Amino acid sequence: MESFQHLMGGFAVALSPMNLLFATIGCVLGTLIGVLPGLGPAAGTALLIPITFRLEPTPAIIMLAAIYYGAMYGGTITSVLVNVPGEAASVVTCLDGYEMAKKGRAGAALGIAAIGSFIGGSVATLGLVVMALPLARFALKFGPPEYFSLLLVGLSLVMALAGKSLTKALVMGVVGLIFSFVGMDPVEGAPRFTFGITPLMDGVRFVPVVMGFFGIGEILLNAEKTLENMVAGEVKVSSFLPRRDEWRICASAINRGTWLGFFLGLIPGTNSAVASFMSYAIEKKVSKHPEKFGTGVIEGVAAPETANNAYANAALIPLFTLGLPGSPTIAILMGALIMNGLIPGPLLFQQHATFVWAVIASLYIGNVILLILNLPLVGWWAKLLKIPYNILVVFILVFCIIGAYSLNNSVFDIGVMMFCGMLGYIFKKLDFPLAPAILTLILGPLMERSLRESLSLSQGDYSTFVTRPISLFFLIVTAIIFLTSAWQALPSAIREESKEAQV
Amino acid sequence: MSTVNRIAWGALLLFGVFVIYESVQINYYGSDFGPGPGFFSFWLGVLVIGLSVLEIGRSFRTCEPLPAGFFPDRTGLVRIGYLLGALVASVLLMERLGYSLTMFLFCGFLLRVLGRQPWWLTLVLTVLGSFGTAYIFRRLQVILPGGILGI
Repeated sequence: MESFQHLMGGFAVALSPMNLLFATIGCVLGTLIGVLPGLGPAAGTALLIPITFRLEPTPAIIMLAAIYYGAMYGGTITSVLVNVPGEAASVVTCLDGYEMAKKGRAGAALGIAAIGSFIGGSVATLGLVVMALPLARFALKFGPPEYFSLLLVGLSLVMALAGKSLTKALVMGVVGLIFSFVGMDPVEGAPRFTFGITPLMDGVRFVPVVMGFFGIGEILLNAEKTLENMVAGEVKVSSFLPRRDEWRICASAINRGTWLGFFLGLIPGTNSAVASFMSYAIEKKVSKHPEKFGTGVIEGVAAPETANNAYANAALIPLFTLGLPGSPTIAILMGALIMNGLIPGPLLFQQHATFVWAVIASLYIGNVILLILNLPLVGWWAKLLKIPYNILVVFILVFCIIGAYSLNNSVFDIGVMMFCGMLGYIFKKLDFPLAPAILTLILGPLMERSLRESLSLSQGDYSTFVTRPISLFFLIVTAIIFLTSAWQALPSAIREESKEAQV
Repeated sequence: MSTVNRIAWGALLLFGVFVIYESVQINYYGSDFGPGPGFFSFWLGVLVIGLSVLEIGRSFRTCEPLPAGFFPDRTGLVRIGYLLGALVASVLLMERLGYSLTMFLFCGFLLRVLGRQPWWLTLVLTVLGSFGTAYIFRRLQVILPGGILGI
């Protein structure tokens, strides 16, 4: 009940004309990012952070959150209309969405995606309202050792789920942590890894790194291929509603997609692509006609789209309550919060209650805005896809340069972005996952601080991490995650080696 | 792929050695406040070395073929070179020429050489990408370098 009273207060703030305007701008920009190929939600959100520099924290975060879930929906449009997923979570939508479009039912596919996204997002936000206060109150019992162990759980999940190779994910996590140590030591003020370069004294900022890894890295990767126009022919969008006989099937698919996306959103390390792929697999499994999947069945669009939006909203629960980002985009939102002087975690609900409830209320409003905006604008979004990629890429680079520079009015940050772009390109070529590096880059200072505070409080006694029950519990969970991942990786490695030996 | 992996993990191994070297230059432990600034990075360096040794050892026991198209063709390399060259030039020129002029050259070069756009479209888009974006972002109170001409 208390949560709902806070939420009403949040609505009062979020519904102010200026905040509504910023939520709308965020939804439009987010959808634009989702529609444009070559820019995922992570790079897109980082790219647009400079736009929010001059704003107060509340409208700034409302706008960034709207960009985030707008991008999730934007990816759907290209998947359905031109069979090009704007981001990873929309890959599965291509399977049936594009087939529906070929049959002249693009409107129904986009309509059910928007309706499913709205329902999934709204239910997940309701979950955030219900769970936020109890979780935050529980987390208030955490001291530095508990927080350090909790961060280890989050990171171990991210690494375990990040890619095909546990060692690659681990080493990327470590690289991100080492990057986060560049600059002045937070406790003693000693310079680390600065090599006498003055701008490095302030540390490596996450925005140029993210833009480099995800934006420039992707552009370099695309540059290997011909930069041809990726767009298909004319798109006809007629009725946005499913047929009468499809409503019941859609309702069940949306229901399952909502709950699946919601629960996956609570687990750090999963991503929206996992949510959409799993929900598609479940729909196929429960369907009376699984053989029709891939030929343009509406539940093949409804379920994954619902799941990925429910995931996007539910993923904010661990961020707001525990300060634990579950994905790179959420980590970027966390970075934006920190830049605005707001440390995500249980104290956020005590110290900045108005802000946090306004942002939560804006999630509802944002979902409504997306629903209202996107359906009539679908044709317009499709036209954007006609811009040739080799023109688009120049403008993306211009925005990257502005974004990196304006962070600290420093050309050095453009250099950092370029360097990280090259690193990102190499890592992508070598199949090293980038997500763990981004997460540890943002969590590194928090981890180091909690580790060193813990050891200072215990006067250097490491047993503090295992003598406190909550910390011990988190460490056991971390160990289980690592051992399970290593165990799962082991048989395949052994199989590979024995196969090679036979050859 | 095994050789490429060996080189990649070898580079990471050297990175780990470098991190340990840098960490021991600063205070590793022994301050009044528990672990020193080099403590965490020292152990992370050790972890990088451990993982690298593990993977290098594994690469000698397995033989993964290189995925098709792993190395870009000559045209691809030229395109990557153009993009990186334009970015390096923008970093070097930004403070001297200012944002608008640097971006004018940056956009013009990429649109004409990489994008192969006609002259008129290159000019229109270049003005939009340089002076146009400078105008919009300065209106949004984003500070951009003016350079010697102050534009």
